Order: sequence, then structure tokens, then C-alpha cells
Amino acid sequence: MRPIALFFRLFVWFSWRHFMKHRVRALIVVAGIALGASVFTSVRLSVHASLNSFTKSIDLITGRSDAVLSLPGGRVPEDLLPAVLQQPEVSHASALMTTYVKAAGDEMEPFLLIGFDPLSDRPFRDWEAQRGTAGSDSPWLGLMADPFTVLLSEPLARRHGWQAGDNLTLAHDRDHAIFRVLGILKPEGLGLAEGGRVALTDVATFQEFSGLHGVVDRIDLKLTAAVSPVSLEELGRQWADLLPEGLQITSPSEAGESGRSMIRAYQLNLSILSFASLFVGMFLVYSLVALNAASRRHELAVMRATGASPGLVFALFLTEGVLLGAGGWLAAIPLSGLLVSYMLRGVSQTISTLFVRVHVDTVFLQPWEVLLSFGVTLLISLLAAVQPAREAMLVEAGEALTTARLQRSRKDSAGKMAGVSLALIGAAVPLSRLPAVAGIPLAGYVAILSLFVGFAMLAPWGLQRFGATVSPMLNRLAGVPATLAGRYVRDSGTRTAISVGALITAVSLFTALVIMVHSFRETVQLWVHQTVSGDLFVAGKLSAVNHFRDPAPERLRKGLLRLTASVEPVRSRRFGLKTGNFDYELDLLDLGSFLRHGRFVWVDGNPKALQSRLIDGEGVLISEVFANRTGLEVGDRYVAQVEHFAVELPVLGIVRDYRTRGGVVFYDRAAFTMRYADPSWSTVRLFFRQRPEDFDAALTALRREIIDRCGSHLEMVAGEELRAAILRIFDETFTVTFVLLLIALSIAALGITTTLAVQVLERLPQFNTMIAVGAAVEQVRSMVFWEALLLITAGEIAGLMCGFLLSYLLIYVVNVQSFGWSFIYSVNWKALAASLPLIVGTALLAALPAIRLIFRQPPAILLRDR
Amino acid sequence: MTDGNFLIQAHQLTRIYPMGRTDVIGINRLDLEIAPGELVVIKGNSGSGKSTLLSLLAGLDRPTGGGLTVAGVDLAAATESLLTRYRRSVIGMVFQNFNLLPTLTVMENACLPALLAGTAYEQVAGKAVDLLRWLGLEHRKDHLPSQLSGGELQRTAIARALINQPQIILADEPTGNLDSRNGKAVVELLAGLNRDRQRTVIIATHSNLADPHATCMIHLKDGEIAGRA
Ligand SMILES: Nc1ncnc2c1ncn2[C@@H]1O[C@H](COP(=O)(O)OP(=O)(O)OP(=O)(O)O)[C@@H](O)[C@H]1O
Ligand SMILES: [Mg+2]
Repeated sequence: MRPIALFFRLFVWFSWRHFMKHRVRALIVVAGIALGASVFTSVRLSVHASLNSFTKSIDLITGRSDAVLSLPGGRVPEDLLPAVLQQPEVSHASALMTTYVKAAGDEMEPFLLIGFDPLSDRPFRDWEAQRGTAGSDSPWLGLMADPFTVLLSEPLARRHGWQAGDNLTLAHDRDHAIFRVLGILKPEGLGLAEGGRVALTDVATFQEFSGLHGVVDRIDLKLTAAVSPVSLEELGRQWADLLPEGLQITSPSEAGESGRSMIRAYQLNLSILSFASLFVGMFLVYSLVALNAASRRHELAVMRATGASPGLVFALFLTEGVLLGAGGWLAAIPLSGLLVSYMLRGVSQTISTLFVRVHVDTVFLQPWEVLLSFGVTLLISLLAAVQPAREAMLVEAGEALTTARLQRSRKDSAGKMAGVSLALIGAAVPLSRLPAVAGIPLAGYVAILSLFVGFAMLAPWGLQRFGATVSPMLNRLAGVPATLAGRYVRDSGTRTAISVGALITAVSLFTALVIMVHSFRETVQLWVHQTVSGDLFVAGKLSAVNHFRDPAPERLRKGLLRLTASVEPVRSRRFGLKTGNFDYELDLLDLGSFLRHGRFVWVDGNPKALQSRLIDGEGVLISEVFANRTGLEVGDRYVAQVEHFAVELPVLGIVRDYRTRGGVVFYDRAAFTMRYADPSWSTVRLFFRQRPEDFDAALTALRREIIDRCGSHLEMVAGEELRAAILRIFDETFTVTFVLLLIALSIAALGITTTLAVQVLERLPQFNTMIAVGAAVEQVRSMVFWEALLLITAGEIAGLMCGFLLSYLLIYVVNVQSFGWSFIYSVNWKALAASLPLIVGTALLAALPAIRLIFRQPPAILLRDR
Repeated sequence: MTDGNFLIQAHQLTRIYPMGRTDVIGINRLDLEIAPGELVVIKGNSGSGKSTLLSLLAGLDRPTGGGLTVAGVDLAAATESLLTRYRRSVIGMVFQNFNLLPTLTVMENACLPALLAGTAYEQVAGKAVDLLRWLGLEHRKDHLPSQLSGGELQRTAIARALINQPQIILADEPTGNLDSRNGKAVVELLAGLNRDRQRTVIIATHSNLADPHATCMIHLKDGEIAGRA
């Protein structure tokens, strides 16, 4: 106990009081860490909330079933239910149907309508109506007894102001109908699914409403004995006679697995990005602790001379780092509270557009996440303090006896460090070739880290070379102050250089993200204009939210047959399928017509040679994401169960596709009809055969004609609008990224402020000497300004180089391994050219406080300095 | 009193450091005249105001009261840029702890004031080499301060003080960090400058090393002149 008490006493005497004396510096560092830690925490909490809500929703809808009967891409015949119930292995079974619906005349978000048999569903899912809202004691009886009644979840009812007894008109893709609100659900069980935006109705009503007679989406089963996936397969074989062709028995645990893994990958990527902020903050801690170690050498020598062990000195400085980290983390708590609400919106929106629909309103403080952020922040600060603490530890007691305060000549370690850093940078190449581990681009992340550390370690050598190169030029260009500045940059050694690391990291992150987002956007734009081509898109109402799973209503299909000859339709049917745990779409479309007007963005395969083979239905095209997820290549065979058909076709080519989730297989619709059956179509895009002179008028006329022929129960969107909307959503998706980036840059600016201020404070006697021997104040200021400019320029050049390497890693390794897609590499020179001077400018602004520090005291202080 | 006869003229010169509620006296109502070519030794206990006086003379600080004219420059009223020019051309300074810039070599340290004044390196280099040779430092000219002994450091500082050929050399405790042999050598150098090159030299010191060379001794006490000989 005694040694610990002693240590803390010494810490207070030696370190804490020093901190208090130089409060501002310590506070800036704490602020930097706090910013980093709060970004890290709030990002993780937000994604976690999305993941949680998604999982919870899936689990609530899945309920307590042991197995699920479904038909890939289609529906299950209802009469299977009694047959299955008779099997000895089955104790309970319940049919379920879901679709997204909208309240008529209401532009609010669609919500999920669940159709089920309230009686047989009891063992599977929990829900209860609020007292007094459901009329009778047993609302489930009411649902069954009265057709076209619904129970609404509480948030949904509150949002729309609906109450028990109200009548509402609900619309889905084929029709609309009036429902009576039977009651409001308690906020528990099913009442919480989809973020509390659900309505329950009887399955018979559902079928009546949707026109899906005799079929259900799936049948959930409870089995008599505990069943593992292996025995589920066995069960499938046993029931071979009972089950129609194509029907599958799967484990409910697979539900949502692909969505979950996508969200996890996104969480990991955002975590890494926000970790960068902490990483930049690390340089702040390093700067301050290193300053304390260097400026207090004499004190340290005296401490050592009076009996302090090297270990004690080491521990003192390490504790300084930990204290800064802990302080930053504490300050991060209120900051995270502010940030998290913003992040939550941005993050859940991104997840909803890119991966799966999520509804998140609240964040729960995950103890584990809080602990993680505490641990990471502390660890980072501790690591940052190690090197300065080691330097402090090596101060010899003998130095106490020297009065002249001259730096000992340092051994030149820059060259050695450069060797190590080149090795680290080089290591990124083999690392980037390694495959993902469990879908996580682990090696890719390590490669990024080794790039960052490598470039930060290259800084001392780089500055030496840079300073040596520019200082002769500066002499001619800008006179003595600039030359001296160049000299300082050349000789300032490891500490200054490593502080430039913060800038290098931030600039490289900036560069890489600008390049990545630009490449992503350019590629998506190309894809949107070629593959999402079309002048008008038409589908049944709510068809899009329901993933175009059902054929378009008959009136629409018939009406379109008689459409004016000036437009060419490209009809398409999409099936939501699964391979392993990966959800994807099979998109059957009129390839002949499509290829006359639009194009695919090819990754692999020869577009010219394949055109006719594609149209003839000789094989499929797969999206890049699908290829990366399944490992299929050109020439392999694509195998799938689609409704009742076992489809097996060769893969002819790989194309880019960036729709939600991104896994797509394209095949010709007519060929599918010939080989298997007419899949009908769920959506159609129309191309004008020749671009009309007055395009807008022609489009308006076309819209009118469609409504005349097909009625108004449909959704139409002009191609231009759709494409613009996709790009807009895309841009919104990256606001979170840029907010994170901005924060990293701000922390880097704080880093510049502290680094330069520290350097100025340390060298005040030198500046005063310069004044005493005849320098003008402006000359000293201009020297410090040039120092800042040179350091910033060097940091920016290195950051730029690191950023280009990083952008390759992000586009070709991290994105491919995390999400399965890559982009066409394209550098946004304009944005880079415009923003880099801006960063230099900001960095120089950040240097101002340091320059202002210089002559706060008259130079006569020099004569009192000993 | 004819101005032209004196290089340095102080009248009721005062420098008070306001320290919160109380004022600390550095120099108090000091009257002083020094003719060109003198070697003045300023003595006095610690805290008596020696450094304060030197920093006022050097143009590193401004008086809070009274007047101070050095080489025709009214230091109390001078603008910042005039002060800078004054420091460059009139004054050369030597410090107790040498104050050399650690990243500059001996040669570069010596040249620095001339470079700051706008002279090209090529022009000043020859003169610096001459100075360093005279000071016995020629073989050390490319070394960094960290590689030098105390005596060598102080001689480098003297070279730096002389490079702009100032009229006045101010030395604050120049021997304080040196052993007696090196201290003596430095004092002799300063005395030589005074004798052979007609520089006005002002040394503030506790030691008696400079006494034999002094043309004038000033004793300070509590910021005032307690005696002059
Ligand atoms: N910057 C300052 N702020 C406050 N007081 C000061 C300052 N500089 C000097 N003093 C005070 O002015 C008085 C004269 O100080 P000065 O340094 O001139 O003495 P000195 O004769 O040079 O002493 P020493 O022989 O110890 O060098 C002292 O009381 C000192 O505390
Ligand atoms: Mg003194």
C-alpha cells in the first residue's frame, strides 16, 4: 500500500501540479481525446442500436418456431398446414403472411401488415391488446370473428391519431380496403416489431385483401423434439412425399443473418473510421507528454539525483498519459450524448438504404460498448505516452550538475526509423492480398494501420530530407527567417516529426475518403445511367417496398399490352432468394429490349460477344456482390430453387450493381418462360423508341395514357427522377462519413496548435536571444510561421501519398471484403486541389495561437533565465 | 551638460515591475552618464538591478519612467523597428549562459546578427572567420554548440556580439558559468576590445576579474547608484 500512496503523492507533486500550471495545454489535449472518444462511442452505439432493432424485429416476427416451411421466391399452399400438423414430429404450426401497406391518402411511411391465425399462433408469438381498447376480452377472437379488422401497434396509432373503432383505408400493391381498428397493442412482443410500426390482422382477411387465395408466405413449426439443422434436412427427406416440389424446411435462426452481417460489416467500417479520430488524438497525448518530458529534463535529473528510480519516472509519465485519456473519456460522455442523436439518424438511414430496413428511435447504453470505448481510449493514451516516458526514464542524474541548458546531441535514429517505416508501408501490399476472415477484412485493416504508423514513422527522416532540400532554396526566396525555419525543420528531430503524424493521418484519411466516395459515386452514376436506364418506371402500388415480389395487378399487365407503339417496355420480375445465408434477387427481365436502350457495367466477360447469348437465355449475369459472396466466376454454374423450379444455368458475365444489398442475378424473362414457366412481371420500365422532341410533354401524355388504361392504383416514376433520387440518397449516405472525417480533421488541427505552441514555448529563450542579437520581432514571427508552413506542407505531402495508397486499400480490399462491391477507381482532382490548400490554410490558422505566444513576455526575461 | 560628450545618458531612469498589489523596484530614479570608450563594471548584490539596467541599455526592455538616450537614440520613445535597428547596430550582447542557438554551428551562430540585418552570408562569412580565428575558434567553426566547452561557447557568443561592429558591448555576468582561467580569458578579450578597438564595454558581474581593467565602477543598491569610482 505504501509504495502506491507514495507514487500518488509524487504524481500530485510532480505531474498534477505541472498540469495545473499549464492548464490550457492539458485541456486542449483532453478536448481532442474527448472528441475522438465521443465519436467512437456514439458511432458504435448508433450502429448497435440499428443492429439491435433489426435483430429484435426479426426475432419478434420469427417468434419461438423451431423450423420454417417456405418456397424460395414464392408462397406456400395453405392446405399444407393441416397435413403438416398431422405429422408426429410437429406439435404446433402457424401460417404467416406479411406485406407493407400504406394508409390511403397518407404520404407517411408504409408499415408492416401481418396476417396470421390468432389462435394457432399463440405458442409462437406474444402480443396483447391494451385494456379497454379491444372491445371484448379476447381481441384475437374479434380478429377472427370480424373480417377486415386490425390491431395497431401503439406508436403507429399514436403517430396517425388512430383509435379503436376508427375506420381506415389501407392500400397494398393490388388493391385497397377499409379496415376497422379493433384495438391497440401493448408495446411488447409483436407490438414492438419493425420499430413499433405494425398492424395485425386475421390471415383470411389478409388473403382476401391481397388476393392471395390459398397461399401463405410461410408456415412456422414447433417440433416435438429439439431439432438441429442436420435433422431438419432429414425431416425434409422424410416429408418428400408430403411437400410439393421446391418447398424448403429451414432453421429460423437463418432469418436476417445476411442483413445482420451487412450491418456488422458497416459497424466495423465506421468503427475503424471513428477510431481514426482517436488515433489522431493519440498524437496529442504524445505531444504533451513528450513536451513535459523534454522541458523538465533538468527537474528529472534532480529527481533522479535525489533517489527516484527510472521505473518511477517511467510510471509517472505513463500515468500522465492515462490521466489525459481518462479525462478525455469522461469529457466524452456528455459529448457523446449530443453526437449520438445525430449519428443515430444518419446511421439508420444509411443502413436502411444500403442494406436492410431498420427503425430506430432510441439508443440503449450498452455497458459493453461503454467499457470498450473506455478501454480503447485508455489504451491509446497509454501507448502514446510510452515513448516519451522511456525518454524521461533515461535522463541521467548527472545532468542535474550541468547548468548550461544545451540539448545533448542526439544519435541519429531517423535513418533506422525510416527503414522500419518502409518495411511497414511495404507490408501493406502482401497484407492486402490476404482473404477476409469470417467476412471481416482483418488483414486490410492491419494494412491500413501499418500504412498510418509507417508514414508517421517516416516523418523524421522525411522532414530531415525535406528541410535539407528546401532550406537553401528558401534562403534565396524568402530570406533568413525562412532559412532558419528550414534548418529547424531539418534538425528538430523525432518529436516534432511524430507530431506531424497527426496531420499525415488526417490528410491521408481525407484524401482516401474523397477518392473512395468519388469513385463510388462515379461508378454508381455510371450504373444508374446505364443499368437503371428507362424513361418511365411503372409498378403496382407498394410494389417497391415489398421488393417487387408479386406480379403486377392484372389490370396493369393487360393495360400495358395496349400501350402506344412509340414506347418499348422492358418488363421484369424479381424473386427474393437465398443462397446459404446470403439474400439476393433473381431479376428476370426482357434482355433484348433492355440491351437496345440500356447497358450493364461489366466487371468480367465480353459484352459484345455475350449479347446474343444472353438474349437467347444461354446463361445468367451475376452482380459483383453476388460473385464475391458466393465465389462464383464466369463459366461456373448458377444453381437455385425458384418456386417449383430447379434452375441451373452457366454464369456468362459479372456486372456491377449497387441496389440495396447488391446481390443480383440477371436472366432473360422470355427464356425463363420457355424453360420453366411464365414468371409474369412485377415492374416495367418504358423507353421511348425515339426521343420525342418535346420530352416532357410526351412523358406527361404517356403517364396519362397509362392511368387511362390501367387505373391509378400504381406507382410511376420518371427515369430522370428515379436516377436523381438514387444519387441523392447516395449522397446523404455519406454525410456520416464526412462528419467523422471533419472531426478527425479538427482533432488534427488541435494537434497542430499544441505541437507548435509546445515548440514555441520550449524555444522562447532562443527567440529572445535572437531579439537580443538584433532580430526584429517580425523576423522571429516569420520564422515560426515558416516553420509551421514547412511542417504543414511536409505533413500534407506525406498525407497525400499515404492517402492514395489508402484509397486503393479501401476500394479494392476493404469494400470488396466487407460489402462485396468495388468501384471504378477515379480521383476527384478538382475536390482535392480545392480542399488541400484549404487544409493548409486551416492548419496555419491553427498555428496562430502558437505564433501569438512568442512575445507575451518582454525579451529581457532572458537575463533572468538561468 | 552637453549631450554630444556622452554615449549613454540616463535621467531619473526607472523600471518598476508591477507585481499584483505591490511594485518591485528594478531600477529607481537612476542618473548615469557614460562616455564613449569606457569600460564600466557594474557591481551590486543579487537583486540590486544590474540585469535590469543592462536590459534597458540593450533595448530589450523599456523604462517605466525617466529618460534613456544611447548613441543618440531615445530608448524610452523609440519605435519597435528603431529598437530593432538599434540592437543590430549599436549593441552586442554576451550572456552568463551563452544563449547560443543549438541547431546552428559556431560559424552560423556568429553570422546570425549580420544575416538578420540583411547582409548576405557570402559577405559576412569572411569577417566571421577572421573573428573566430582571432578568438581561437577557427578549427571549431563547423561544430554545434553541444560539442563545445564553456569557454569556447562564451567566445562564440563574443564573436556573435562583435559581428555587426557595435559601439557598445553589454555583458551580464559573462564569467558566471566559467572556471577562473576561462573567465579571465573572456574578461581579457572584452578589455582588449575596449583598449584596442575603442569599444564601450559594460560588464555586470559579482566577480573581481574585470576590476583591474575598469575605467569606471558603479555600485548598485536597491536599483539606485550607491557609489561610483
Ligand atoms: N521580470 C521581472 N518581474 C518582476 N520582478 C523583476 C523582474 N526582473 C527583475 N525583477 C526584480 O527586480 C530586481 C532587480 O533584479 P535584477 O535581475 O536586475 O538583479 P541583479 O542585480 O541582476 O541580480 P543578480 O545578481 O542575482 O543577477 C529584483 O528584485 C528582481 O526580483
Ligand atoms: Mg542579474
